Amino acid sequence: MTPRELVTRTLEFDSPPRLARQLWVLPWAVQHFPEAVAELAERFPDDLISSPAFYTAELPVRGDRHAKGTCVDEWGCTFENLADGIIGEVKRPVLAEWSDLDRLRIPVERLTVDRGRVNTFCRQTDRFVLAGTVPRIFERLQFLRGSENVFCDLMDQPQELRCLIDRIHEFYLKELSVWAATEVDALYIMDDWGGQQAMLISPVLWRSIFKPLYAEYINVAHGRGKYFFMHSDGYILDILPDLVDIGVDAINAQIFCMGPERLGGQFAGTITFWGEMDRQQLLPRGSRDDIREAVGRMRETLYRDGGLIAQCEFGPGANPENVFAFFEACTNE
Amino acid sequence: MDIKNRLFDAVIAGDAPLVEQITRQALEDDVSPEALVNESMIPAMDSVGERFQAGEFFIPELMIAARAMKAGMALIRPLLAARGARSAGRVVIGTVFGDQHDIGKNLVASMLEGGGFEVIDLGFDVAPQSFVQAVSEHRADILGMSALLTTTMPAMRQIIDEIEAADLRAMTKIMIGGAPITQRFADEIGADGYADNAGSAVSMARSLAAGL
Repeated sequence: MTPRELVTRTLEFDSPPRLARQLWVLPWAVQHFPEAVAELAERFPDDLISSPAFYTAELPVRGDRHAKGTCVDEWGCTFENLADGIIGEVKRPVLAEWSDLDRLRIPVERLTVDRGRVNTFCRQTDRFVLAGTVPRIFERLQFLRGSENVFCDLMDQPQELRCLIDRIHEFYLKELSVWAATEVDALYIMDDWGGQQAMLISPVLWRSIFKPLYAEYINVAHGRGKYFFMHSDGYILDILPDLVDIGVDAINAQIFCMGPERLGGQFAGTITFWGEMDRQQLLPRGSRDDIREAVGRMRETLYRDGGLIAQCEFGPGANPENVFAFFEACTNE
Repeated sequence: MDIKNRLFDAVIAGDAPLVEQITRQALEDDVSPEALVNESMIPAMDSVGERFQAGEFFIPELMIAARAMKAGMALIRPLLAARGARSAGRVVIGTVFGDQHDIGKNLVASMLEGGGFEVIDLGFDVAPQSFVQAVSEHRADILGMSALLTTTMPAMRQIIDEIEAADLRAMTKIMIGGAPITQRFADEIGADGYADNAGSAVSMARSLAAGL
């Protein structure tokens, strides 16, 4: 069975022979533990990969988002970073004042995906391929306006906010449509909606503004026979029923922030849990036995003849031994 | 409706222009600035914090309420200063060095101001010596530290050690917070308090200040 078939059977709750797996390696891990990263790739190759975009137009990016210093992305957002290996933050948003709205730069270069090359990439691998772009409308609003402005905007609801959301959303629809026309297996979006114990915004507000946008993205994917994956950090329990309702196929969430037992009791069998192993406590400070026990909890509570992908992030602070322990436990080594 | 009740409601609703209007009217009507703060604004922010804890309010509601209170305080603060009024306590707050995440810390700072504390915000990526210097210079009652990364958390222990070495520990209570922080970690490093969200930070700060 190919990895692509394995992941598909996982998503369809069709009794895959083993847990599909994927390791997210952050630059921090490559810098600090290059041998471990190499060994993990060799012993536990990913069943899911992302396709490069093969843009025919150059993206106007200056700098490296994971390097110390400053980076300007294709939207014109400036990220400032204190250290190598982790992602920077926007400290001086380009649309801090609504009078600057005309400065919004839509990165049309991201629409110049070379479909032929993407399709060749997909055909030359037997792995499950995710689209090589990750729209993130809530986060993009924050990168452009500044987080504190956005939180206030969501309450004040100025006309300019609606205008900005519409323009970003229109672009993301176009971008996802470009990818939906390729041979990738799934489209993928992200937005971090949770704090440690609750949503960042009220679920009612989320449903009124953002749920309809996500539903449109999913329609683009499903309309072309693609699966739909989503990442969202933090406590998002209150909107998981909504994500299931609009058709998210796989969710990458901090399941140990919400409790795998509670998640499984409500959602097992209705959505695929795309990880994750706890990176706040277990991966940095747990023992190998803790990791094994956690994997057991994930299997027991979330797996229903499928519906669970063994995904783990190797990022700042993670103990490499625990990353190995995770995949060993997931493959019953 | 009584003007103080109207002010209370306007702060909770996060209506900054209305808060400013009511505050101005109240001051013109010779309502004491202390009464406006202690009987309307601080109780309103306490209510906001309680609603956040109860899951009724979220970050946007907290932010606009804090913004509204600041609008009123901009009119009141000069009057309080002229009268030598004391705050609930003086807090030095910052995100530890190597860490640039500050939205949580900013929210806590706003809530502490709303709770009647004087807040000296050092920003993010704050070096240990900067914390020590600020605590000493401002005679801080409370030092608040934030970290969002497991790799920057250890800096909190170092900063506490340097506060002790500077002979400031007895004067200052220390509270910490941030996504990867736990009560266990707070106990391990000798912090006096741990607040797991912005809503509980004010009550934590009050209990620490009372213990001084």
